[in-house]
This record gives sequence, C-alpha cells and structure tokens, in this order.
Amino acid sequence: MEEVDKILIQALKQVGTEVSEETDSVKQFTSELIVEAVVRCIRVIEPGLGGALPTSLPPGMSARFRVGMSLAQACQDLGYKGDIGYQTFLYSNEPEIRSLLMFLVEKLPRESAESSDQPTGKSVVLQRSIAAALRAQLAVPWLPPACRLPLQTQTQSLGSMHSFQVQPLSLPLGPPASEQTLLKGEDSAGLCPLRVSLSSEYRRDVLRPVTAQLSSHCTTAASLLERHTAELSAAHEWDVEWKSQGLLSRLTPQEYRSRKLSRLRKRIEEQLRSATLPAADGAAAGPASSSSSADLSDLLQSFRSSSASDRLLTKGTHFTHTQKFTFAQVRPARFPQDVMAAVSPAPSGGRSEGDAAQRRQDELDVLQQQLQELNGQAERLAADMRLMTLLSLQVKDELKQRERGNAEEEDRIHVKKKTIDLLPDADDNLLQLQAVMEASSQRLVHLAAQWEKHRTPLIEEHRRLKEIRSSQDLESSRKLSEIKSLHDKIRVSTEESRKKEETYKQLVSELDSLPQDASRSAYTQRILEIVSNIKKQKEEITKILTDTKDLQKEINSLTGKLDRTFAVTDELVFKDAKKDESVRKSYKYLAALHENCNQLIQTIEDTGTILREIRDLEEQIETENSNKTMANLERILEDYKAIRQENAALAAKVREG
Amino acid sequence: MAAFHLLGSLPLSDCVKLCHRLVDGLCGQQPPRREDYSSIWTLQQWLELLNSLTTLFCEAVGHKLSNEKVLARLCDAGSGPAEAVLSVLRARQAEIHRALQDRTHFISSATLQDFDWQLGLALSSDKISSLHTPLLSLSLDVQEKGVLRSVAIEMNQEELAALISSLEAANKVVMQLK
Repeated sequence: MEEVDKILIQALKQVGTEVSEETDSVKQFTSELIVEAVVRCIRVIEPGLGGALPTSLPPGMSARFRVGMSLAQACQDLGYKGDIGYQTFLYSNEPEIRSLLMFLVEKLPRESAESSDQPTGKSVVLQRSIAAALRAQLAVPWLPPACRLPLQTQTQSLGSMHSFQVQPLSLPLGPPASEQTLLKGEDSAGLCPLRVSLSSEYRRDVLRPVTAQLSSHCTTAASLLERHTAELSAAHEWDVEWKSQGLLSRLTPQEYRSRKLSRLRKRIEEQLRSATLPAADGAAAGPASSSSSADLSDLLQSFRSSSASDRLLTKGTHFTHTQKFTFAQVRPARFPQDVMAAVSPAPSGGRSEGDAAQRRQDELDVLQQQLQELNGQAERLAADMRLMTLLSLQVKDELKQRERGNAEEEDRIHVKKKTIDLLPDADDNLLQLQAVMEASSQRLVHLAAQWEKHRTPLIEEHRRLKEIRSSQDLESSRKLSEIKSLHDKIRVSTEESRKKEETYKQLVSELDSLPQDASRSAYTQRILEIVSNIKKQKEEITKILTDTKDLQKEINSLTGKLDRTFAVTDELVFKDAKKDESVRKSYKYLAALHENCNQLIQTIEDTGTILREIRDLEEQIETENSNKTMANLERILEDYKAIRQENAALAAKVREG
Repeated sequence: MAAFHLLGSLPLSDCVKLCHRLVDGLCGQQPPRREDYSSIWTLQQWLELLNSLTTLFCEAVGHKLSNEKVLARLCDAGSGPAEAVLSVLRARQAEIHRALQDRTHFISSATLQDFDWQLGLALSSDKISSLHTPLLSLSLDVQEKGVLRSVAIEMNQEELAALISSLEAANKVVMQLK
C-alpha cells in the first residue's frame, strides 16, 4: 500500500495539490486535503466540471455538506462506480478514499508522459532554454541604472556593451624560452647576467600589476585572455610542427630552431637581393620581374626614400640592417653633389618682391631639374660602377686562368728540356732509365701489397660500421614511427575522452532536467516481485489443499474402518450377549463408548465452526475499527449539532425579519 | 639636437620611472602623460625629450649598441641619468625588441590591430516568424596610415565559411613562406 500511496501523492503534487512533506500515506489525509486533491484532479480531467467547485471546505456545516454532495455528483459523472456520497469526503475512511483517488489519477491525461517521450536533441534543448531565458528577461521590468539589484545588473548592465578589446600587457613571465636563448646568443658576453638582474629589479620595483597597466578596466579580461590564447596557440603550433617535421629531422629542438632561422634568413636575403638588382638597374628589369619581387622593390624604394628621422620605423631585424648598409653606400655619394648644386647659384641680392619670388621659383625649377639630372647621373654612375666591378671580377678570373695555363706550359717545357739533355748519351741513359723504371715498378708492387695489407682490415671495418649504422638507422626510424603512432594515439584518445566527457555532461544535464519521480523500472521490478510472491503463495495454497484432501481421505477411510469394525464387533458381541450376562454388559459398554465418541467428534467439529465464526467476527470488528466509526460518529453528532444551531439561527433571523 | 640634458632636472627615481613609462608606450601601452611633468619642462622640451629618448631606445635595441656607445650618446645627460636610462634599456631590451619586431611585421599599409566577434541567433524577422539563423558579427580594427578604422561585417553561415576558407588559403601561403 505504501508504494501506491507514494504514486498517488506524486501524481497529486503534479496536479497542483499542496501535500506537505510529512504526509506519506492516504491515511494521514485530512478532509480539507481530500477535497482539494479531488477538486484539482477534476479540474484537470474536466475543466468545465471542476471550474465551479471550490478547492477548500467552507466553514459553514451546511455549505460543507452541499460541497460534499456536489463533489460526489461530479465523481459519479466522471464514471466512478463505487459507493460515494458526502460522507466519503467529510467522514473519510481510508480504503474508500484510496480507491477514489486511484480512479481519479488514472483518469488524469498523460500529457506529461508524452512530452517527456519526445526526442530531446541538442537544438530542441537549446531553443527551449533560449525561450525560457527570453521569457524570464521579458518578465523583469527595465530599471534605471541606480535602482538595479544584482539580479538585474546581470541582464541590464552595460557590461555586455563593451567590445572585446585588447591592449598589450607587460608580464614578468618573460618571452618564450626559444627567444630567450636566441637573444642570449646575440648578446655580447657578460651582458646577460647584468640584464637579468636589471629586469628582475624592474619587475620588483616599477612594473605595475596587470589591472593597473590598462587604460580601462573593461579590457583587462580580454587582454589577459588574448595573451594567453596567443601563447597557447604558439605552443600548440610548435608542438605540431615538432611532431610532424622536427622529430624526423633527428635534431635537438635548439638545433632545429637555429637551422630553420638560418634557412628563413637566407630565403629573405635572396628575395631582397633579387628585388634590389632590378631597382638598382633602373628600368632594365622591366615588366619581366614577377609580381612578388615588384612588391618587394616597391617596399625597398620606400626604404630608400626614407629619411634619417624615419629610422624609427626600421626595426632591428637582421635583414633590414644588411639592407641599410647596402644603401648607406649609395646615399652619401649622392648627397654632397645635391648640396653643392643647391648652393652654387647663390642669391645675388633682392630687387622687387615679385621679381624675387619669380626668380626664386625659376631658380627652384632649375635647381630641381639639375637635381634630377644629377640624380640620374648618380644612378647611372652607380650602375656603371657595378658593371665595372663585375667586369673587373671577370678580368681577374681570366687572369688567374691564364696564369694557371702558363704554369702548366712551363712544366711541360721543363720535361722536354730534360729529355733533350738526355738524348746525346742515349744507350746508357736508356739502361739507367730501365733500371730506375724496374726499381720503381718493384717498389710500386711492394707498396701495392702493403696497401692491400692495410686496406683489407680497413674495408672490413668500414663494412662492419656501415652495417651497424644501417641497423641503427632502421632502429631509429622504427622508433620514430612508434613515437609518431603514439602521438597519434594520444591525440585520438584525448579527443575521444573529450567527446565522451561532453556526452556525459549532456546526459547529466538531461538527467537533471527530467522529472524526479520514482522511476518506471523500479515500479516494474516491484510488480514483478509481487507477482512472484503471489505465485509462491498460490503454490503454498495448493500444497495445503492437497494436504487437506489427504487428511480428508484418511479421515474417510478411518471412519469406514471404524464403522466396519464396530459392525463386526457389534455382531459378535450381540451373538454372545444372548448367552452370557457379562458379555451383555460389555455390549452395553460398547454401545455407550460408540455414542460418546460420536458426541466427542461432534463437539470438536462444533468448536471448529465456532472458532471460524469468532475469527470472522474479529475481522469484522477490525474493519469497523478502521472505519473510525466512533470518531466519525462523534463528528457527525457535532456536525449535526452545528447544523441545528445554524438552522436555529436562521429560523431566528427569519422570525426577526 | 639631442635633449638628454633635460633629464638632469628630474630626480633619478623619477627619471627611471619616466623611461619605463616611455618603453610602455613603445610597447603599445599608455605612454607617459605630459601633465605629470608640465611643471618641469615646456611643451617643446617635453616633445624633444620624448623624441630623442624614443629614438635612442629604438636604435640601441635595433642596432644592438654596446653599453659604451649608448653612454656616449647620452654624454650630455650627466652620468646619473645616463646610467638610469641605460639600466632601463637593458631591463626592457627583450620587450622593446619584441615591439620593434612586431612593427616590422606590418609590411602592408593597413594592418589589423584587434578584432572582436559576436555570435547571435536571429529567432525571427519581420516577415518570418521562426527563423533560427545563426549570424556572426565581426568587427575589425584596422590601422591604416596611423588612423584606426573600424570595419564591421555581419555574416551568415555560408558567408562565414567562405571567409574562413579564404583566410585558410592565405594562411597556407604564409606557411609556405616558413
């Protein structure tokens, strides 16, 4: 019964009845609660029917009676077949109320169950939550800023109007390790420790906290987040690159970095050089140059025309420096000439203002023309110079080649001269030569043998080392591939775990959003348990039944036996009784015994029936007791008195009126 | 032309502070304010001082000048302020280096300074009751010839995908340069 009551109370709560936490069974329901529960159920089932009914009992007794009557009528209209009347509500008894409430709860429409059966996709959940949030925000009135409570500042404050703007921060964490090493590498020796101590001093004494570094507080979070994201993404990029390319190059990270840096520098230098050549040669390169180099030459033109004050903008990277050095040679060469040209036609005193202005303008034009000419000349000269240096280089090369040829020729002449010297004493010299040749060939053979002796172990050593190397290579590449696969695995499993966590979160949120009633499976389990209990009980009942049947059979057979034995004994004794007096006496005793035993059996049976009756009566008493008859009777009496008083009062009123 | 001698009219600790604020300004934070020093220098002196100090910092870091060279350039400031400026320079060298590098990266005339985005869900419009279209509003702060200009764009899903794919293509080109 407890579970039934729990389900009933749950359902009643859903309908809107205010059942307190302590009430956990129908037994504890008061009349007011019963009336409220029934009325709310009826309102949900049949709004038209329940609309006229009040949810609470009125104070007047006769009014209460009428409410009870109308409620009973409404329940009968809904199709309740049980016994129902005003007394059901006013003088409640547990079983009746339970059956009535069960009927009503079963009649409740199942919309809530249907709605929870709908597929709850992510988008549906999102849209529902958006709708709920909008509804909540619309319900809150707009307030002027001064009157806002913390609740309203969340949705109405200006905080959301600030854009997410970022300002650079100065953090004591320092640049990433790579840059530090790079800077250290460039430092001249001995500067580094000094600088470290200076910067730590700066951090201790001067550096302001992050919140004070910015012009407005709104940007603090944004700036911090941006900084963090930038560092994170840089670290991530390096990680990816290192795993994909760095590992394969088989270098330490520092070596890999420095190699990459030098490669980049070389590339940029090449680009710049290829771009400067056409710029220096004027229009010689023409439209043939590619678009990228044209862009770069534009850029370089802007570098050239930049004056000294613009040096602020030319930064400390290596390539700009080299660039500046190359052009530093060009610029000073040009300047003195320009200055000379500008100064030489000195002003020769003023006549009238207009004339002077006119003349100045003319002069300016002339000077500008001269300047342009000179510029052109200078450029041409520079180009010539370059051409000349190139030519001189070529000429030097040629010279070297010639010298080398000369030396060869001289050698050859030397040999020939010796041969000619040897010619006069030809035979002797021939013999000598042959001897020398033989000796030298023998020496050669000897040397070859020695060489061979040395060579073989060396070659073997070489082969062995080669083999070792190849095996090591194999090993290392195997390990590399292992590392790679491990990295992949790590990535995949992190992704998987993240996904699973997300699903878990979603499921948890769905679980939270589900209504918290007792679960369906628990009910089914309970029902199954009850069914199995019933089965067990049924088996026991059949066992008892068969036992009873056996007993009956035994009793029957015993009675038959007894009857037959008695008949036989009776006959035998009766035969003898006619002859003997003592036997007659025993016959009498036998008859008396038989009769007494019959009486005894009868009495036992009677006791059994009486016991059964007693049990029936006890049960009846119990049910009557559970109906709270006495209490109800007292209440009925009180109510009756109240009605009589009301009636009397009404009658008095009528009389007075 | 160098106005370093003006530093002499400031106590040494204030001098260090001023230099640090100046470096802050160089790195994109708030530069020092003139009001704090208006009683000490005239506007012209102030500007000259700022100019020459900034130039000194940039060149010293950019050209990797040694301590002696820096001190030589600071000779008319007196030994105390010169040492102070040098200490600030050495303490903040990495930061200045970084800021200069960042400026070098701005190779085109217009550069992106900052961006912000907001994701909105248009629930309905004046014609359609149920729209449910996600919209991204992107605002870019572009610096063009020293002037900060804000560019605002609103995109739906397809336009955003097009933008992202073009940005990815650009990134690929950059990656090839690496």
